Amino acid sequence: MTLQNLIMSLQKYWSDQGCYLAQPYDLEVGAGTMTPDTFFRVLDRRPWRVGYVQPSRRPNDGRFGENPHRVQKHYQFQVIIKPSPSDIQQVYIQSLVNLGIDLSAHDLRFDEDDWESPTIGAWGVGWQVVLDGLEITQFTYFQQAGGVDLFPVPVEITYGLERLEMFLEGKDNIFDLNWSEDVTYRDLRLREEKEFSDYNFQTADIERLRQSFGLAQGEASRLIDKGLLLPAYDLCLKCSHLFNLLDSRGAISVTERVKTIGEIRSLVVRIAQKYRAGEGRS
Amino acid sequence: MEFLLEINTEEMPASHVKVGLAQLKEKIERELASNRIAHRPVETQGTSRRLVVIGDFAPRQEDTQEVVIGPPKAVAFSKEGMPTQAAIGFARSHNVETSQLEVVATPRGEYIGLKKTSKGRPTGEVLAAALPAIITSLSFPKMMKWGETNLRFSRPIRRVLCLWGGKRLPFTIEGVRAGDETSGHKLHSPRMFKVASVSEYLAGLKKNGVILAGDERRSIILKQIKQRLGPLQAQLYPDDELLEKLTYEVEHPHVFLGEFPPEYLRLPLEVISVAMREGQKLFSVIREGRQVPVFLGVADSPGDRKALIRKGNERVLKARLEDARFFWEQDLKIPLAQRAAGLRQVVFQEKLGHYEDKSTRLKELVAYLCDKLGEKKIEKEAVQAAELCKADLLTGMVREFPSLQGKVGGLYAREEGYPPVVSRAIYEHYQPVGLDDPLPVSAAGAFLSLADKLDSIVGAVGIGLLATGSSDPFGLRRSAGAVCRIILGRKVHLSFDDLLNQAVSGYGERLEKPKGEIIEYCRTFFSQRLRFIWEGEGYRYDLIEAALGAGLDSVYFSYLRLKALASLEKSPSFEPFILMAKRVNNIIRGHPSYEVNPDLFREKQEKEFWFSFCILRDKALPWISAGDFARAQGMIFKLQPLLNTYFDKVLVMAEDAPTRQNRLAQLQAISRLLLKIADFSPVVVEGEKKDRSA
Repeated sequence: MTLQNLIMSLQKYWSDQGCYLAQPYDLEVGAGTMTPDTFFRVLDRRPWRVGYVQPSRRPNDGRFGENPHRVQKHYQFQVIIKPSPSDIQQVYIQSLVNLGIDLSAHDLRFDEDDWESPTIGAWGVGWQVVLDGLEITQFTYFQQAGGVDLFPVPVEITYGLERLEMFLEGKDNIFDLNWSEDVTYRDLRLREEKEFSDYNFQTADIERLRQSFGLAQGEASRLIDKGLLLPAYDLCLKCSHLFNLLDSRGAISVTERVKTIGEIRSLVVRIAQKYRAGEGRS
Repeated sequence: MEFLLEINTEEMPASHVKVGLAQLKEKIERELASNRIAHRPVETQGTSRRLVVIGDFAPRQEDTQEVVIGPPKAVAFSKEGMPTQAAIGFARSHNVETSQLEVVATPRGEYIGLKKTSKGRPTGEVLAAALPAIITSLSFPKMMKWGETNLRFSRPIRRVLCLWGGKRLPFTIEGVRAGDETSGHKLHSPRMFKVASVSEYLAGLKKNGVILAGDERRSIILKQIKQRLGPLQAQLYPDDELLEKLTYEVEHPHVFLGEFPPEYLRLPLEVISVAMREGQKLFSVIREGRQVPVFLGVADSPGDRKALIRKGNERVLKARLEDARFFWEQDLKIPLAQRAAGLRQVVFQEKLGHYEDKSTRLKELVAYLCDKLGEKKIEKEAVQAAELCKADLLTGMVREFPSLQGKVGGLYAREEGYPPVVSRAIYEHYQPVGLDDPLPVSAAGAFLSLADKLDSIVGAVGIGLLATGSSDPFGLRRSAGAVCRIILGRKVHLSFDDLLNQAVSGYGERLEKPKGEIIEYCRTFFSQRLRFIWEGEGYRYDLIEAALGAGLDSVYFSYLRLKALASLEKSPSFEPFILMAKRVNNIIRGHPSYEVNPDLFREKQEKEFWFSFCILRDKALPWISAGDFARAQGMIFKLQPLLNTYFDKVLVMAEDAPTRQNRLAQLQAISRLLLKIADFSPVVVEGEKKDRSA
């Protein structure tokens, strides 16, 4: 199975489960959780079912394309279902069977792993799903986002697509994966990993990053006051990514880290509270 | 009659399973008792997916009898013994014949009464009414909600099975109806099956790939580990915590043996085993104390017929070890001393400053300990260790595996060629982390660990970050427990006040609370930890109070006091001695203190007693200073018969004030001496109980 077949299979499967198939969000995010299709939609009481691929950037994980497992950008397949159905674990397991995995010959475990994203004031309870020692999915009952208690409770299922594909192809090196029959992950991504690792760790201009951060932060705050919550949230995402870049440039001290995360969080909390209260222009 | 309850959930953390089972047992037993339902001890079993209760209860509540009091006998019956209107009316109002009335003796005289028996309700009814509240009231260290239910639990409850006498017991929890069905292993035998008894349930689970009893799963794991290792002549690198976790995480254990490329053995055992344990929950294997390139894993599966589980784990582990090697090699490029300079960037606690400040304080405190404890010869190395010990917080390895902090620093120091005293001290300076964790072996390691923890404790107390109730944000209880264990384990005899004073001084002006208040709080706090530790070791509560009552001049001496008390507790002299000590204290209570003047002795016994007392005291004092409290106490026991004679012949509370004050002064001198050994007033003895009742 190729990576694109894996994606198509998951899309088909979750579409059959009633999910709307979103397209990747067009901003740099650290995880699929951060996109508006998850963040805003879990806040209200309305039922919601969505599935989508989201490229996720973690500048610190860059290894110049030299590590067979770590990359500064990877792909997630994100599913949100609200309220969480009572048979959701079985539905998830069936999605693996659907990929052709004979679970009777493997060890599939739900290992305690509570998830938390302080930047967007979100946390949940759940597991990392581990297949023969390989973490393939984060499975979480979302409890809070933007510092707001969530009800009904959404379930979030996040597949690590490269991990899962390495399992399916039996490969030891991420760059050997087949994206399609003719194109490998190396063809598509190796140069990107090298150049971005260089940028993330060595070349990004710290002063300009700081300035950009300040601009985005100020603009986010201004937009919140104006009730433009979605654009304000986009600017928070920019802040989050700029912060990650400053961090990978080694420009963030431990104290500053706590302080800055707190600043982004407080913007996001304001957005969540206003959104929940039905404010803003809808 | 047979009772069976199974709460089926999505995977709970291992620790939650135990917490849940203990509460279920306690709550159900309490419910039965308060409802007068006879029962055998309730049995509980569990896996990460089920909490199970098995019981044998009486079919009904016990009947209750109550006596209804009617009119006085004299009113209810005539002189001839015939029932009067009063008796007839009373009987009628309770629907009985007058012949069923009885005479009841009450404090107010004889009355007419009626014994009424009310039938107990069937146990099933009681259980069906009580179980929903019991189950929904279970509490877990961290709880969650799911779907649209309002219940909070460890993980979502998906099914409940409840049988009473082989039949389904009807009740509902948050929309889940209790039934008589369960299912086997989630992946290998997920089909539902009905059960009508405990034995059918247990057999059904077994047949469907679930081993319910934790003990059985544990022994299967251990047996299979032994089988796998037999041909290799190697041993498991023991890890009880991991074993316990795995025991509850799997419903059907299967142990597999895998390999990793021997080139990774260049990494230290600590690093390899953490990479194995924390990522994949794998056990390390050793032969003759050295790691061998194999591992053991526990799968939740009946077997691994195609060896896919093993191969998958091998592949993942190789990647992890590759990452660990990356960190190891990268970290070694920057010497620890150079890294330590960066500690200024790492916050220890917002109000308490950064880690560079902390290292500076630790250097002073460690030097103080070396000096006071006769280890001047290792002072230079210990101070160097203090300077470097926090540098590993800035390494990639500790960022990836935080539990390796300290250990990794020690290993890097060794690689860099620091003297073994230095690297060992760094390596050991977080120990003991838990209750069962070993103490630092080296003196420098022990001193550094003491210094580190004391510094954190007085700092936290100094800014009001206290441990209250279930909240202990700075881990003070654990740190204080570790300090006590090191002091007791190494027999460190050092004035506790001086030690605290030294630790507080290290902060200069930084702390918010005055020094005296911090030290006072710490004394009380440490006394509490010592009570907790010693009660756990089985010492009598009153003896602990007596030992601590003599003052916490040194933690180790308090322990010696306690041991002396415990060793003498059974001696025939103990009880009369305690009674005497209490008598002395009772007499002198409330009097100002006086000085003994030998010229004022009137009676012969007074003089003789004082003479003997001085001899005993002069013998006992050196033993007390040396901490030999058992011997000192044995000597002091001899006071008891002497004092008895004294009390027989001498009236302490004499009319004449100077005589009386002189005698009180004698008793005060005794009391002062006793208090150097222990405060005997809280000690409870048999004779005392008799005294009170007499």
